[in-house]
Amino acid sequence: MKNKQKPKIAFFSFTCCEGCQLQALSCEDELPDVLSLVDIVNFREAIDEKRDDYEIAFIEGSVSRTQEIEEVKKIREKAKIVVALGACSSTGGLNCLKNRFPMEEVKKIVYGDKAKKYKHLDTIPARPIDAVIPVDYYIHGCPITKSEFLHVLKSLLLGKKPEIPNYPVCVDCKLAGNICVFEKGMTCVGTVTRAGCSAICITYGCICWGCRGLIDNPNIEAHEETLKRYGLTAEGALSKFDLYGGWERHGEKKQ
Amino acid sequence: MEYRTLPKKRIASFVTGLLKEFKVYGPVKKDGFPMYGEITSPKDLYLLHTPTHLSPKQYLFPQKETLLRFKSGANPPPLSPSGGGQGEDIAPVVEAENQVLFGVHSCDIHALRLLDRVFAYGPPDANYLRRREKTAIIGVDCMPDKYCFCKSVNTTTADSGFDLFLHDIGSGFIVEIGTQKGKALLHKHTKSKKTTAKEIRKIVEFKNKKAELFVAKINAEASTLPLIYSGSYFSPVWEKIGKICYGCGSCNHVCPTCYCFDVRDEIKANLTEGERYRVWDACLLEDFAKVAGGHSFRKTRAERLRHRFNRKFQYQVDKFGGLFCVGCGRCIRTCLVNINIAEVTNELIEESNRRR
Repeated sequence: MKNKQKPKIAFFSFTCCEGCQLQALSCEDELPDVLSLVDIVNFREAIDEKRDDYEIAFIEGSVSRTQEIEEVKKIREKAKIVVALGACSSTGGLNCLKNRFPMEEVKKIVYGDKAKKYKHLDTIPARPIDAVIPVDYYIHGCPITKSEFLHVLKSLLLGKKPEIPNYPVCVDCKLAGNICVFEKGMTCVGTVTRAGCSAICITYGCICWGCRGLIDNPNIEAHEETLKRYGLTAEGALSKFDLYGGWERHGEKKQ
Repeated sequence: MEYRTLPKKRIASFVTGLLKEFKVYGPVKKDGFPMYGEITSPKDLYLLHTPTHLSPKQYLFPQKETLLRFKSGANPPPLSPSGGGQGEDIAPVVEAENQVLFGVHSCDIHALRLLDRVFAYGPPDANYLRRREKTAIIGVDCMPDKYCFCKSVNTTTADSGFDLFLHDIGSGFIVEIGTQKGKALLHKHTKSKKTTAKEIRKIVEFKNKKAELFVAKINAEASTLPLIYSGSYFSPVWEKIGKICYGCGSCNHVCPTCYCFDVRDEIKANLTEGERYRVWDACLLEDFAKVAGGHSFRKTRAERLRHRFNRKFQYQVDKFGGLFCVGCGRCIRTCLVNINIAEVTNELIEESNRRR
């Protein structure tokens, strides 16, 4: 069915591994249907076309260079709806780990002696895109789940508000019938982390590192107490949040 | 009451027999912990277990289940805000198969009896009731751990709500016949012996021994608890436990009598067909009592805890005539900040005594 009124969507990517775009691309069973409903006009990882007449922009990655600030702002001006795609974009994600160290040190750790040679390696503290522009919807996770990406896209096409969980991973764990990580002698931050991942890490024997960010109203004090009770020091307890929660915890402070 | 005796070694052949006819669910070991799971061989069964993490309610009221499938025949389709288009096709979905819940403790048997009343109340819940109809329940005696307080809420034994009930007497099991259905299953799938009076005395001995083993308890008669709770609405206890509560809903999810669910629609990528499903919800979660426009009826964790506790000891009792806490202790075991429903109740009892 040819429909000239199809909404136009675009994908953009900033500082990230582009794994979340790959998740979107790997919705193979649904892509034919999706493509019958929307026109994709900009998607570097998938198509050559690059147009600027999009209505919905999915932005992946955090902002970590001055020029990216301008680019993100431009996208905001053009798009009616901006969706943050994945942890880097929605909470700052792993990239914010570097914010806690001096720039020179970070560069040296990664690039060794060559670090000084390249000017383009100078970056600003990594930040989620909502530190730069207003964001309408968030698709959390590292990486995003395909089902949630499709849910958000379908909801937007139907004019419905997407249902993004505002409850902790404990819920997903219970629904999955998992034994609690704490009972198995480990600790995790799932108690204050936004669910929606089906507790996949815990189901497969790992812990939750909080890639989907905090729930809206987490009881962090309760969690610090719990972690201490399970043998972690206060700083050890808090550092559990650092892998993904660097921006929420430190912001730009430690630059 | 009718009894039969089953030598221990016959349990395996009994389960094997049941497996020919039914899906069998019972306690299994997962990561070293007792958990309900599907039994595919008698060897899977971990019968003399301490309480499981989730209750067997999941086999009658699953975590997530489809309620109906819909398809819009209208073209161009999508479900418009004004309602359905022409040529809609809506089909209810009730998925139920013959199943046996094997090794259910008496607290959970009481809980299932309560759920039976809940799901039959008002418009009957077809999905639950159909599944219930196709379910046989085989109970088993148990020993309390330090969190069990069934003795305080009179659920240490069950006199109905099961098809068969196994009492461990060392050399074998005395099988208490609960229903004709249970009796037929027993005779069909195994050979049992007549139970002697001496053996029956062993059940009583076991019960007496068990009664002495409880560590956790509620310090008031079960029948007085609704009144105590009704006088405790403004107790400082709620603020105290609200402060340390995560609001994670784990207590709801492990509870054998919590039955709240959320109903959601998921439409396929073609935007013309989809399904409506329900998924467990939990009154401790922040968004549970949030309504259109963003207003929440129970904003604080303290309010939400108070609500849950009242549902167990007061509100539901008024409606369905029985305490909705069966003393299984699951919410205590699962709570990472040690909110203890028995201890909280004891604090309320103390406050209530001081008021008198």
